Amino acid sequence: MPRLSPPRADALSKATGAERYAFDVLPEGCLHAGAYRPGAALGVAHGRVRGVDASAALAVPGVLRVLTAADVPGPNLHGIMHKDQPVLCGEVIRHAGDPVALLLAETPEALRAGLAAMRADIEPLPGVFDPEAALKRGAPLVHQGRKDGNLLLRAVIEKGKAKAALKAAAVVVRGEFSTPVQEHAFLETQCGVAQMLPDGILHMTLSTQSPFRDRFEIGGALGLDPFKIRIRAPHLGGGFGGKDGATVQCLLGLAALNTGGKPVRMAWDREESILAGFKRHAVRLRCALGAEADGTLTVFDCRMLFDTGAYAHLGGEVMELSMEHASGPYRVPHVRVEGRCVYTNNPIAGAFRGFGVAQASPAFEGLMDELAAKLGLDPLALRRKNALTRGDENCSGVRLTGSTDLCACLDAVAGHPFWTGREDWRKSAPPFTRRGVGLAAVFNGMGYGRGLPDMAIAKVELTEAGEFLVYNAVADMGQGNASAFALLAAQELNQEAASVGLVMPDTERCHPSGSSSAGRSTYTFGNALVRACAALRHKLISRAAMPFLCDTLDGLELEPGRVVHRPTGRAMPLSVLARFLPHDDRICVAEFLMPVAQDISGSARGFMIGFPHLLFAYAAHLARIELDELTGRVRVCDYVCATDGGRVLTRQGFDQQAQGGAAQGIGFALFEDFRLDQGRTLTSDLTRYLIPTALDVPDTVSLAVDGCEDSGPHGLKGVGEVGLNGPAPAIASALRHCAGLRLRQLPFTPERLLKALSKARPAKARRSA
Amino acid sequence: MKVLTPRELPELFAALETPGAHMLAGGTDLLVRLRAAEREGRALPQALVRLDGVAVLRGIVREADGSLRLGAAATHAELLAHPLLRQELPELAAALCELGSPPIRNMGTLGGNICTASPAGDSLPPLMALGAEVELASLAGTRRMALSDFITGPGRTSLKPGEVLTAVIAPPARNFQVRHFEKVGRRGALAVAVVSLAALVRLERGRVAEARLAWGSVGPTVWRCPEAEAALMGQRLTLTALGRVGAIVRENVRPIDDIRASADYRRQVAGNLLLRLAVL
Ligand SMILES: Cc1cc2nc3c(=O)[nH]c(=O)nc-3n(C[C@H](O)[C@H](O)[C@H](O)COP(=O)(O)OP(=O)(O)OC[C@H]3O[C@@H](n4cnc5c(N)ncnc54)[C@H](O)[C@@H]3O)c2cc1C
Repeated sequence: MPRLSPPRADALSKATGAERYAFDVLPEGCLHAGAYRPGAALGVAHGRVRGVDASAALAVPGVLRVLTAADVPGPNLHGIMHKDQPVLCGEVIRHAGDPVALLLAETPEALRAGLAAMRADIEPLPGVFDPEAALKRGAPLVHQGRKDGNLLLRAVIEKGKAKAALKAAAVVVRGEFSTPVQEHAFLETQCGVAQMLPDGILHMTLSTQSPFRDRFEIGGALGLDPFKIRIRAPHLGGGFGGKDGATVQCLLGLAALNTGGKPVRMAWDREESILAGFKRHAVRLRCALGAEADGTLTVFDCRMLFDTGAYAHLGGEVMELSMEHASGPYRVPHVRVEGRCVYTNNPIAGAFRGFGVAQASPAFEGLMDELAAKLGLDPLALRRKNALTRGDENCSGVRLTGSTDLCACLDAVAGHPFWTGREDWRKSAPPFTRRGVGLAAVFNGMGYGRGLPDMAIAKVELTEAGEFLVYNAVADMGQGNASAFALLAAQELNQEAASVGLVMPDTERCHPSGSSSAGRSTYTFGNALVRACAALRHKLISRAAMPFLCDTLDGLELEPGRVVHRPTGRAMPLSVLARFLPHDDRICVAEFLMPVAQDISGSARGFMIGFPHLLFAYAAHLARIELDELTGRVRVCDYVCATDGGRVLTRQGFDQQAQGGAAQGIGFALFEDFRLDQGRTLTSDLTRYLIPTALDVPDTVSLAVDGCEDSGPHGLKGVGEVGLNGPAPAIASALRHCAGLRLRQLPFTPERLLKALSKARPAKARRSA
Repeated sequence: MKVLTPRELPELFAALETPGAHMLAGGTDLLVRLRAAEREGRALPQALVRLDGVAVLRGIVREADGSLRLGAAATHAELLAHPLLRQELPELAAALCELGSPPIRNMGTLGGNICTASPAGDSLPPLMALGAEVELASLAGTRRMALSDFITGPGRTSLKPGEVLTAVIAPPARNFQVRHFEKVGRRGALAVAVVSLAALVRLERGRVAEARLAWGSVGPTVWRCPEAEAALMGQRLTLTALGRVGAIVRENVRPIDDIRASADYRRQVAGNLLLRLAVL
């Protein structure tokens, strides 16, 4: 009997508007902080700061302070891996969103008026906006004094002998691909509230994916003791990677040092969020895929160029994941992938759902379609033939010992009527319309990879009232991990899901458990939690033995709300049992460390951490589309994703991840066209930067394959990211099916499609259309 | 900032005498502009005069000559819910259906769309093709003029200080058999038009006797193409004929590049959209 999924733990509070996000926190007497970012208004992305004039701003009633770099205690630098980003820029701005001052005001109105009255004298410096140009000799340097100039990182993954294999391959397909910057566009912009209390503890409530790490970012940048910073992370109104790392954190910390103990709030508006927030890296790829005549893949060779923007942030780490996924979820004996990640004066790039993999999937799947066409093979059969299965060695030479059910995903799509009926769909196109069906096979690694322990520590408590409380230590950005934790705990403790309470991440009350990212949240913390709950269950049974006068634990069981002794039928409510136990005894804590790959036949040079990964989620996606010949507009009519996420904990949570990933991926494929001119963002708000609306995304069919990841909590794997990697290649594949188009530059805008159509089709055919 | 809510026209005219007063209909254009002004430290109006309380500015009424009189402060949603609009002005209904999104259509008004005079205003091409007129009123009295004369440039109208757009009058167009509107935006909702086309074609024995074509978003104001209209005369609506006229359109249209599309794309699509009129 399938167990009905209980509703998400946050369903009611969010649907009724009762849930309090960081954005909603506004304590009595709260001041307002805002960053002054002069580059955008001056049209300067790289410039020397000659002066900041705050006199007019300070004359605005309600403006209290204007802080500059000189007011920053400590090194004034932050960054997750490389400390290269100033909290406030004192000498140069390196992109149009760099801040040079922080204003404190009594009201939001005074803050806005103060910001509008600020002036800065910025001497424009030659900028560099193209990653290729940034590597040229004599290119303007984004950061002075680096041995490698604008090159942040160069890395190589190698397995076998790619060069020789390319020469020997019976057939080779090649291509150059590019993917653009993508904006997270979460509903809740970057925000938080901070207050320095008299005991010297800096209290912060933040919209953040990484509350534990934030303490070190803030402490490091401002010269504060990280252990004197307490961070709470309520539910986020979206994150998608864009709140992994310091957004408001250091600025708010600085503000709180200057308010005389008053609370202070910072909330970016949409324009600031787009101007200063982290983005998906734009990437250029040049790849070659070789195979035998029967379609067996033999070799993949690829060069990638990443634009990390003005600061390193997670550039190297995103590139690592991209490189590791570059040749797709296939068995390829010979692989060479070279990546370079480059500083420019463009906006800062960072983590984004599908972390590097979304940039690689259009290339590897584009070449698979190319190969299928060249060899006259069915594109699905070609993928199935080469798909990784358990026990295979992947492209980095990692032996896949975990669940690897891509074939089942492909089979689910192969049997779907949208796939079997694809030729009927193509033939049934109405006038001026092309119809096509496309397919993509994708995957996404889980966890931090080697070199950075992917650890979580879970705590669960039986309260004095006899209820259970889970101390969730991994932020919930909306993906539902907190609900999953309540459910896992309920299952392990044999309780009703609704009876398990949740504490949201709080560095004071919870244990450090890493960031909400990398498809790891539910997997890693869930594993720790299952262990903590098993320990608590055992403990409670043992503690009940005494009042029950049992000399063995046989027959004692934990039931909803009570412990029972089966042989005698006696029961003790948990509220009674709890009173027998001192507080410390009602708590269990356990940790989990994600397993890593041990013997690797491939090699990698250049990465600091993160190579390679052991566990992956897989998916096969299908897109059924219409292309309008007169305008080049694409309508995604139907969408199917079959996902291997191990065992499904709740269908609702699983489907929401698949559908949300598909929707965001459709945006990446068709609509989201982040435009820059000399480092200035032209798509500066959501009327210019278009994300899909409800009318642009079809109902997405989410299929689950029957799998089990033995190392996962109750058999599950993380499915948060894999869904984003499918739509771009699936839609590209459908465009090839309907009109023979070969699209390699994202997004597939009407303009590009119309141009491609007019090239693909002689003028005569148009008139007889 | 003061907010005034008059109920009758005389009250409205009086309210507009308030120094620094500005009219507020649905606010979907105005509030966006005021927010930007505030961010940039520019001056804001001292008073907003609401139009939504003035009952005579709403609703649809049939005039003696069969024209429809559309209240300037009627919201797009109100107009769409009115049976006369869909029956008699299908091209305008099609345009309003795609304007913004449900919340925008619930707040935004026809008068606001016209007075904003955006090159991409969705109601403008159908109203121009229909030959609509506007009614303007002030303490000095009432005047009427063609919509095409009222809109003088992007964001510019011949509205005088103290004057209110009270109604839009759409003459009957029942003898046009082909009535068409298409908006090409970058997505399905909440999209500024990249190109739009409203077309009214009257056929006699299958051949074009009159064609009125009006494009949005390809020029500073709605663009008409007399050469194309003339070339359609006497033609059947075949792909060949429409393709030929499309080429004339592409020769004459002078669109610009912007963040949403290039001039080339607009030119191409402005011509292509005519093919949709084909009787296949
Ligand atoms: C998210 C969003 C999406 C949008 N999408 C579209 C779209 O798809 N297509 C489109 O065409 N527009 C769109 N708009 C623009 C806007 O919604 C429309 O132009 C709407 O019709 C404006 O009407 P309003 O009543 O809100 O005007 P308001 O904002 O109230 O007024 C606009 C201007 O007109 C003046 N005004 C209003 N009524 C009168 C009157 N009766 N007499 C004299 N002056 C008057 C006001 O003083 C003001 O200067 C969108 C706007 C937003 C915010």
